[in-house]
Amino acid sequence: MRKYSILLLALVLLTLASCKKWLNLTPESQVAAQDLFKTQEGFEEALNGVYTRCGQGDIYGQELTCGLPDVLAQDYSLSTINDPLSYLQSADFNYTDANFLNRENNLWSGLYNAVVNCNLILANVDQQKSIFTGNDYALIKGEALALRAYLHFDALRLFAPSYASNSSAPAIPYVTTYSNKVTSLSTVSTVVKDVIADLLQAKAILAPADSIRNADYIVGYPSDPAQTETSSSDLFEQNRRHRMNYFAVCGELARAYLFEGDYPDALSNALEVINAKKFPWTNQADFLNATPALQDLILYKELVFGWYIPWQTPSLQSLFQSGTGGLFLLPADAQFIYEANGVGGEDLRYKEWMQVSVSGAVQLMKYRMNPSVTPNDPTANICPQMAPAIRLSEMYYIAAECSFDQSPSTALGYLNTVRAQRGIGNPLTDSTKTQFLTDLLKDARKEFFGEGQIFYMYKRLNTSIVGSSGIIIPPSDSIFVLPLPINETEFGG
Amino acid sequence: MQLTAYGKARRHELALITKLLLMFKLTAVFVLLTCLQAGARALAQGITLSEENAPMEKVLKEIRKQSGLTIWYEDALLQKSKPVDIHIRNGNLDTVLAHIFRDQPLSYEIINHSILAIREREAETSPKAVSPPFVVHGKVLGEEGEPLAGVSVSVKGSRQGTVTNAKGEFALSGLDSLATLVLTGANTETKEIKLEGRTTLVIRLKNKVQQISEVAITVSNGYQEISKENFTGTAVTISGEDLKKVDPQNVLRSLQSFDPSFKIVENNLAGSNPNALPNINVRGSTALPSGSGTDVISRNTLSSGVNLPTFILDGYEVSLEQVYDLDINRIKSITLLKDAAATAVYGSRAANGVVVITTNPPKNGKLQVSYNYELNTTTPDLTQYHVLDASQKLAYENMAGLYNANNNGALSQDQLNDVYYHKLGMILSGVNTYWLSQPLQTTFGQKHSVYVEGGSGPFRVGLAARYETSPGVMKGSGRDRYSTDLTLSYNLGSKFLFRNDISATQMNSVASPYGDFSNYARMNPYYPKYDSTGHIAQVVDTYVDRSGGGVTTNYELNPMYDATLKSFNKDQYFQFVDAFSADWTIMQGLRLRGQISVNRTSGSSDQFISPMANEYYFYSSTQLNEKGSYTYGDSVTTVADGNMTLNYNHKLGGHFLNVLVGANFRTSLTDTKSFSATGFTNDQFPDIGFAYGYATGSTPNSYVDKERLFGTFASANYSYKDKYLMDLTFREDGSSQFGSNNRIAPFSAVGIGWNMHKEDFMKGSPFSRLKIRASTGLTGSVSFAPYMAQTTYSYYTGSWYSTGAGAIVSNYGNQNLQWQKTRDYDLGMEIGLLQDRILIMPRYYYKLTTGLVSSVSLPPSTGFSSYLDNVGNMRNTGEELNLQVNVIRNRNFNLSLTANLTHNRNVIVKISDALKAYNERVDSAQTNSANMGAPLLRYQEGQSLDAIYAVRSLGIDPETGNEIFVKKNGTLTYNWSVNDIVPAGNTESKVEGFFGTNVRYKQFNLLLNFYTRLGGQLYNQTLVDRVENADPHYNVDYRVLSQRWEKPGDRVFFKNVADLGQTQVSSRFIQRDNVLALNSFYLSYDAGHGFSSKLGMRGLRFAFTTNDLFWWGSVKQERGIDYPYARSFTTSILANF
Repeated sequence: MRKYSILLLALVLLTLASCKKWLNLTPESQVAAQDLFKTQEGFEEALNGVYTRCGQGDIYGQELTCGLPDVLAQDYSLSTINDPLSYLQSADFNYTDANFLNRENNLWSGLYNAVVNCNLILANVDQQKSIFTGNDYALIKGEALALRAYLHFDALRLFAPSYASNSSAPAIPYVTTYSNKVTSLSTVSTVVKDVIADLLQAKAILAPADSIRNADYIVGYPSDPAQTETSSSDLFEQNRRHRMNYFAVCGELARAYLFEGDYPDALSNALEVINAKKFPWTNQADFLNATPALQDLILYKELVFGWYIPWQTPSLQSLFQSGTGGLFLLPADAQFIYEANGVGGEDLRYKEWMQVSVSGAVQLMKYRMNPSVTPNDPTANICPQMAPAIRLSEMYYIAAECSFDQSPSTALGYLNTVRAQRGIGNPLTDSTKTQFLTDLLKDARKEFFGEGQIFYMYKRLNTSIVGSSGIIIPPSDSIFVLPLPINETEFGG
Repeated sequence: MQLTAYGKARRHELALITKLLLMFKLTAVFVLLTCLQAGARALAQGITLSEENAPMEKVLKEIRKQSGLTIWYEDALLQKSKPVDIHIRNGNLDTVLAHIFRDQPLSYEIINHSILAIREREAETSPKAVSPPFVVHGKVLGEEGEPLAGVSVSVKGSRQGTVTNAKGEFALSGLDSLATLVLTGANTETKEIKLEGRTTLVIRLKNKVQQISEVAITVSNGYQEISKENFTGTAVTISGEDLKKVDPQNVLRSLQSFDPSFKIVENNLAGSNPNALPNINVRGSTALPSGSGTDVISRNTLSSGVNLPTFILDGYEVSLEQVYDLDINRIKSITLLKDAAATAVYGSRAANGVVVITTNPPKNGKLQVSYNYELNTTTPDLTQYHVLDASQKLAYENMAGLYNANNNGALSQDQLNDVYYHKLGMILSGVNTYWLSQPLQTTFGQKHSVYVEGGSGPFRVGLAARYETSPGVMKGSGRDRYSTDLTLSYNLGSKFLFRNDISATQMNSVASPYGDFSNYARMNPYYPKYDSTGHIAQVVDTYVDRSGGGVTTNYELNPMYDATLKSFNKDQYFQFVDAFSADWTIMQGLRLRGQISVNRTSGSSDQFISPMANEYYFYSSTQLNEKGSYTYGDSVTTVADGNMTLNYNHKLGGHFLNVLVGANFRTSLTDTKSFSATGFTNDQFPDIGFAYGYATGSTPNSYVDKERLFGTFASANYSYKDKYLMDLTFREDGSSQFGSNNRIAPFSAVGIGWNMHKEDFMKGSPFSRLKIRASTGLTGSVSFAPYMAQTTYSYYTGSWYSTGAGAIVSNYGNQNLQWQKTRDYDLGMEIGLLQDRILIMPRYYYKLTTGLVSSVSLPPSTGFSSYLDNVGNMRNTGEELNLQVNVIRNRNFNLSLTANLTHNRNVIVKISDALKAYNERVDSAQTNSANMGAPLLRYQEGQSLDAIYAVRSLGIDPETGNEIFVKKNGTLTYNWSVNDIVPAGNTESKVEGFFGTNVRYKQFNLLLNFYTRLGGQLYNQTLVDRVENADPHYNVDYRVLSQRWEKPGDRVFFKNVADLGQTQVSSRFIQRDNVLALNSFYLSYDAGHGFSSKLGMRGLRFAFTTNDLFWWGSVKQERGIDYPYARSFTTSILANF
């Protein structure tokens, strides 16, 4: 009897020892983080996941690209009848409105959800450095760093006062770890420092690795035989402009330096993009092409970086093609913004992007896609559905703004280049900076319509927002600074 | 060498064999063989022969056939024999043999009682016959002097035995004249008779005294049998037969009536839907519905399964659905383990109680067949529905101002008059449709179940088969179950026992094509259901309305139309279980037992919605390829469950020790896949292959869920002189569901008890039983999805990025996540008076669940909105009382009364911030028109989970017709505010339980079982949804016409009839909830043995059961919203062959 008990006890103890391992189960229909980060493909999927996440409607897929920031910038004429999109209160800067609070919470949560995905990659990439081949390690780490900076910088531009207004104000948390602990708020200047630090590190890592810097990397439409953007045999190496490429990091750095007021650094980064001559101006023939399948409305080749968002097409179509039930402009407002009765009469952007619908509302055509006959027909459109993130023209604007103090003529040269490309014949000859900035803003508003950038510009320059039919809304942090979401502040973050 | 008849053995060989046989006094093998040959037939029946001039050989063959005797002889001898003349009916063997051999040159000898050896008559000199063996003839009678058939008569200390015939007679020969006979009948008490040389006997047997719920002698916890008297845990054991009496259709409901602390949560939406699995908790809720989702929980949408007890079937864990679909005839007993002392051997699965189900093992002996037939009739119970008829409805619409242009600016008074007279016209033409009855039917369900069992020696076989249909009262709905089960057991020597069960179950369920019952309750009675051609109309009415600036035409669709189409919604699963166990008795008192089972369930669901269905009626012509849908789901679950236990018991003097050590593992894998397709041109081809494509925006889904559990345990049960008792249990569990930092969880329990009635000083007291016991322990439960403790990534399946598929983190994996711990204290007494004629068993319990798994809010800057953690505590305390009085207890007449009552109080001791945030979300949801009238679930520390949250109300102001609310600070207001919501009621009853009586008179057995609950509260949703918030465009409860405020001075319950504003959640609708229902009425008749044996049966029983025959509740509200309640009547016949 004793013999048996001892035997059994030994058996039980043995099984117990091996049991811990047996109990370590990993999910099958999902992937445990520890398993995902065992392979290079897993890292690639995690990074692609961040871009896909960003391309969802709550952030860059819609809201941050053509939603709330442009509503705040008074770009749309909203229907006052039944407020179908619940933007009316937001357009009046009522930051206690439930719809506003809901949207704000969603985009804040969305941005930081994308951030935590970057942080998970960054927390694992160095330990696993040995598994990578080729340029993968550099691309993954560099892009994850740059994305983290990009996301934080947009959160900063929305939820904090401008640098010029109050650089020491508490702003947002700059989150660099994967944890359930609260990260406390950093000041505006600290956040910008962190953004720049991450971007500089990313730039250094990407510089030797990013194929977009190679001479044989030629930007173009997917159907263009000369382009090499989709020629890599490795899908992950394709379409560098759909991801945080080296020039995108330069562009973002230019933005961040400009935000700080550091003109020389902003200028040098903007010029690095411009002088690379990687991104050609859009051919007018493509912009104006009468065949919908061949018309380039997004100005694809000028995108230094854009989010690839084909899944957003139905949502964007219904947003912009529902007459007064969606986002639209009254004809007078569209004419006002594009100065259609003055210098903007021949502006291609006005002609192609502003289209009067049956109901009389002017609709934004920028995101119009030719409905494909079969799902995902690549010949239905000249380029995929994109959400612009950094444009070549913005680099010209930054270069112009940074060089005006030194050389007004150089600055005007940059600005006039953009205007000329868009069909505005007579060049500007502004002599004062105020006048110059006014003209810069006017053109940027035309250029960035539905791209979510102009609100940040008003805020950074602390200028009045020109509303519907020329109503002036004076600058103030009470309209420029979105309150932090309640879900965030209740943790004392 | 051939042992059986007709061998051509030579004479000397025969003699040798005979000698040998006698010498070895028949070896065991021989006995076995002869027993197989002769069995119970030997000599029990008389021999009938009718032969003229027949050869001896032929006659002997006949005798062998009839008697089963083995006959030995030598051919040469038989040649000397003379032909035989014999005519005998039912003759005694000895008489027959004497007759045959009278004039023969041969003689015979009976060895033992079955071997007939023939030899030459010895020397003509002395015709000395062989001394006849000792033969006993007997007759067995019952209490009333009726002959008892089928009583087994065995000789004590030997394998010899027989069974009485239809006349109650038996005969045994070749036994010792001083032997003792043992008589055992199915319904009689066992009796021993000493022969003392007698050869004829008349024996009377007493009927067994039947008790209502037989007090089980042992308690099974799934691993071992423990003597009930010496057990300190709280366990209730109910026999399968008793369960069947209460509710033959639903074993879970039946179980509840024996112990109401096993509580099936009432589901007023699902009613009597045979396909709705119940939600169950034992001794109160020990889990919080997770508040992580964005959806707000109303009481009716509480997710099921969070509090479920663990179900153990013959030693392995099974799902609730498996128990729900189990054939009740297979159940031998169910034991409900409630406190930690009883459940702790289940460790992390124990906190919500454990239900141990044992199935019938096959009996030894002759092949027995039992057949059970049931006819189950159900009829819908609409007594709580009171809707308006056509003319009342129109009158109500008029009162509500639907036809007054002042209230309805959309249309002019002329247009409104048109609408009114159009409807009036329909009523005058005789339209008055009673929509409620349209989707309903009276059903007839059938059940055939057969059980064949038997065996001899080491082998036993049991084979069960069942066919059961359970149609529901909504037309077309039902649940059909077919199953077979084969049990084989083999005894190797006396040390090893092997048993294997294979069972296969097929379940098919169908949902009613008529849709939700609520759609019928709201249909206006003045709508005709047929169109002018006599077909079911799709559109029963159109009316013009003006809203949002435009004139719209509204179409009223007929919910019955959907049922005319070929839409379907069905589920099925096939389950295969193989369970094997091996038992090794190493030595006296030491047993090693191993068990392993594999359970594979593969199920699928198919839902087809016809493109012509109402839901697609408004689809535009461009959406043709979106009309019609087919959703297919498939799920395969494989579970392996095994355990090994070593059991040791030892008695030394007054000390008795029973020790169990063991280990068990369980691993389960569920693989689920589903996809849906849309676009069907018509419903002639309801097959997914005819679909146009995947549903818009949808992709195929799949989910794989793996779980593993490993546990080791030890328990000891010690008693001293059966007076002082102690139980100790310890278990350690490891589960894949726990966080990696907390993989191993320890659980333990201790119980003590004192059998006071065994003490000397209690001798002569009226107490026949007085037991006091107390126990405490720590058990656990795991109520979160697997992998929540890990950081996991999920893939974007519908949208790939241009540079490849993307994966995104889906949760914050909390590596510290743990099981919930329940600390449990239990006090109990068992008091028996007057030889246990009165039994009183009060119990008290206190359960504190700590580390309640719940989501914790995170600042969104962490990237997540919440994660799961162990926060929150919940307390359940309660009392239970079992009462049993045997008023009359004698042979022919038994009368007993029983009551099982319980009361539970639940208190949320601590909750997480996330749940507080959830309450805020509830605040905003409460003001949203969809939820306005319904109290939503909230969590507040110090309150019960069952609290009803509403704004306090003083009723309708007689002056203004407005409702007067009490604000949080006590002041009065007409304005309802979400901030004034307080806990205003509680659904917990003061007393809930069952009581009833069992009467047995001769062969009749009557059982009445009532359900009652008192002292709780209920929010009368009908008064809100169907009276005050009623949309006058639809049919409503009759009370809209009465008690409505009309003019100042009216002291009424309801607000102004013309006030179309929505009524918000208010304490005005919280009402006292007292219920009395006839849960079960059972009447059975056991046919007398005489009658059944005429039909060739051993027993025959007719039974009739009705469930829910009447239901009375103090809250007058509609019951069974999506599926009505039903009454059920079951007639059953049980025959044993």
